[in-house]
Amino acid sequence: MRTRSAPYLLIAPAMLLLIAFGVLPIMVAVVVSLTDMNLAGLGDWSRIEFIGVANYTQLFADPAFWQALWNTGIFAILGVPAVVVLSLIVALLLNRSQNRFFRALRSFYFLPAITAIVAISLVWGYLYNTQFGLFNYLLSLIGIPPVQWLSDPVMVKFSLVLVAVWRGTGLNIIIFLAALQSVPKEYLEAASLDGAGSMRTTVSVVIPLLRFAIFFVTITTIIAWLQFFDEPFVLTKGGPLGASTSVSLFLYQTGFSSSQFGYAAAGSVVLFVIIAVVTVIQLRGRKADVDY
Amino acid sequence: MKRSHLVAAAPLALATLVLAGCSGGSAGAGGGAAEPLTVWVMGDSSANFEELVAPFTEESDIAVEVVAIPWDAIDQKFTTAVASGNGPDVVQIGISKLRTFADSGALATLDESTLADYPNLASDNFISGVAGDATAIGGDVVSVPWVSDTRVLYYRTDILEENGITEPPATWDDLRTAAQTLAERGDGKYGYYIPQWDSSLPVVMTWDLGGEIVDGDGMIDFDTPEFREAVDLYTGFYADGSVPTNSDFDQTQGFTSGITPMLVSGPYLASAIEGAAPELEGKWGVAPIPSGADNISLLAGSNLGVWGSTDQKDDALELLNYLADPATQLTWYDLDSQLPTVTAALADASLTDDPLAEVYAAQLENSRILPLVPNWDGETGKALLDALNAIVLTGADPETALQGLYDATAETSVD
Repeated sequence: MRTRSAPYLLIAPAMLLLIAFGVLPIMVAVVVSLTDMNLAGLGDWSRIEFIGVANYTQLFADPAFWQALWNTGIFAILGVPAVVVLSLIVALLLNRSQNRFFRALRSFYFLPAITAIVAISLVWGYLYNTQFGLFNYLLSLIGIPPVQWLSDPVMVKFSLVLVAVWRGTGLNIIIFLAALQSVPKEYLEAASLDGAGSMRTTVSVVIPLLRFAIFFVTITTIIAWLQFFDEPFVLTKGGPLGASTSVSLFLYQTGFSSSQFGYAAAGSVVLFVIIAVVTVIQLRGRKADVDY
Repeated sequence: MKRSHLVAAAPLALATLVLAGCSGGSAGAGGGAAEPLTVWVMGDSSANFEELVAPFTEESDIAVEVVAIPWDAIDQKFTTAVASGNGPDVVQIGISKLRTFADSGALATLDESTLADYPNLASDNFISGVAGDATAIGGDVVSVPWVSDTRVLYYRTDILEENGITEPPATWDDLRTAAQTLAERGDGKYGYYIPQWDSSLPVVMTWDLGGEIVDGDGMIDFDTPEFREAVDLYTGFYADGSVPTNSDFDQTQGFTSGITPMLVSGPYLASAIEGAAPELEGKWGVAPIPSGADNISLLAGSNLGVWGSTDQKDDALELLNYLADPATQLTWYDLDSQLPTVTAALADASLTDDPLAEVYAAQLENSRILPLVPNWDGETGKALLDALNAIVLTGADPETALQGLYDATAETSVD
């Protein structure tokens, strides 16, 4: 009996935390999404009314929500491949040597991941600024007219993705590097004895061995991009005209700026379902790991 | 993008709420006078306010703890406070947020009988635009005036004169013509600046052209000839190429560098200019807002409210009484460049002798607050800006965009 209960006992603390901070809020959100809860209701619970699925009906008829969904999709399509491919390439390059210089370089690449978003946004905001930004100054040197980095509805998406990719690669590079360290030396030696060049070894031996790491990075990156929030929040506030409003930002704005908690909760449930579906599809689509 | 996931804002808020529910009861315990009075002021720094209330603490022995809430974080902070019941004792409320704050039921009612013992808080001490019933919500007064803000025309005397404009434009038509002239100075130069986030400017233009945006039944109504005229004026600046179109344009920098030598802003711009470009002294001035049928400007600013569940209501009112003292109000203008709301302070010689303050004070007398709708910033004002910005920035069809605005605001009432 004691041995039976041991595993449950061991996972209990993690489960409790998960239930308290993961499952419970989602359940609360589902309940709230069926009410008209707003700031007044928050102060006095008797003013909250149950309104069924009205929030969802309104949500799906709301052009601002569709625009946010659309934007989030574009952000993810631009950002996910960029982050995964870029981090993999940088990790492969960084892994070529273990000397002090390369180790310093690793910390350098990790720096954006641990820098506060407010500091980052301030600096990038200045770089992008149309009037006195560095980017437009550099463009002016080669005779290119100023670009409206954050004011043009199309350009703004690329500008934000660039910041987020720059920020997102650091952590993923570290994950890839860790996976690269675990590639058995024997395989690499065998490949070199067979006369494979370094390019061939990377493509045919190393990358297949990194499959699990790539899968993990892809899945977490997709989830992160579906929740894209910080960059548009601090750099553009979702503007111009909602062109950079992601779903998370839309939820924040309806929840905190407009105090429509019921409505925002409905949106968060929809986002939750989307993320769950995307993740399940990926998990299903993945073939069982082949053991080398 | 952060990996510590923001699953969604609302559930987080609710989690806070649930947790706060468990910990309730710890608030308000004690109840002695030893606890300091907590005051939430808006902005990035509490230093000036601490300096302002230092004499008050000395005299009354009521300690004041000042917490500065950055403008961007107000909604979030207030929401959390309402949800948890752990609010401050006194809170600064921007006029545009007054209705939202009052609707939450978190503020104490400050009617005549409550204020009777505090002579400085009598409503006839304050400018009429914000005093007493003017900022009552549903008939209930939940705040007293604190600081006022009005918008005036800033202009660069040197640049205007170089281009043959000797007087600041007195009417909106003059302003538009002058802006065109100034925009012709060359590439990257403009005549005027319209902040794309300022929802009050089109309303001010409508007032100036003799219109209203609230109809006789207290409903928001943009579908008027005067508003159409204001839209033509507003979009005209863009059509003329007189205003910059980038949303990250910096108004202080634009003004000091001369890129936009004219703009409409509040008193805080004056201190920003003095701080950023002291060498421009004497090369710029302020003038009353341009007129149409009238020259009504925006009356903004902040009121102060007392948190409903505070157990230090008397101390809080004592502090409000001190803050409404004409001398305190004048000190605050010195410290923080915020205009008084007390008429006696506005008429004080130290203020009227200052050429800038003189213009502000005169404009204040002809200023009005935005309608007290449930959520001006998040809904009505946003719908207004979305419609106008869509026309000027993306070339949206004006009729469609304005129809969208009429539809979005049709149900909005000030009552």
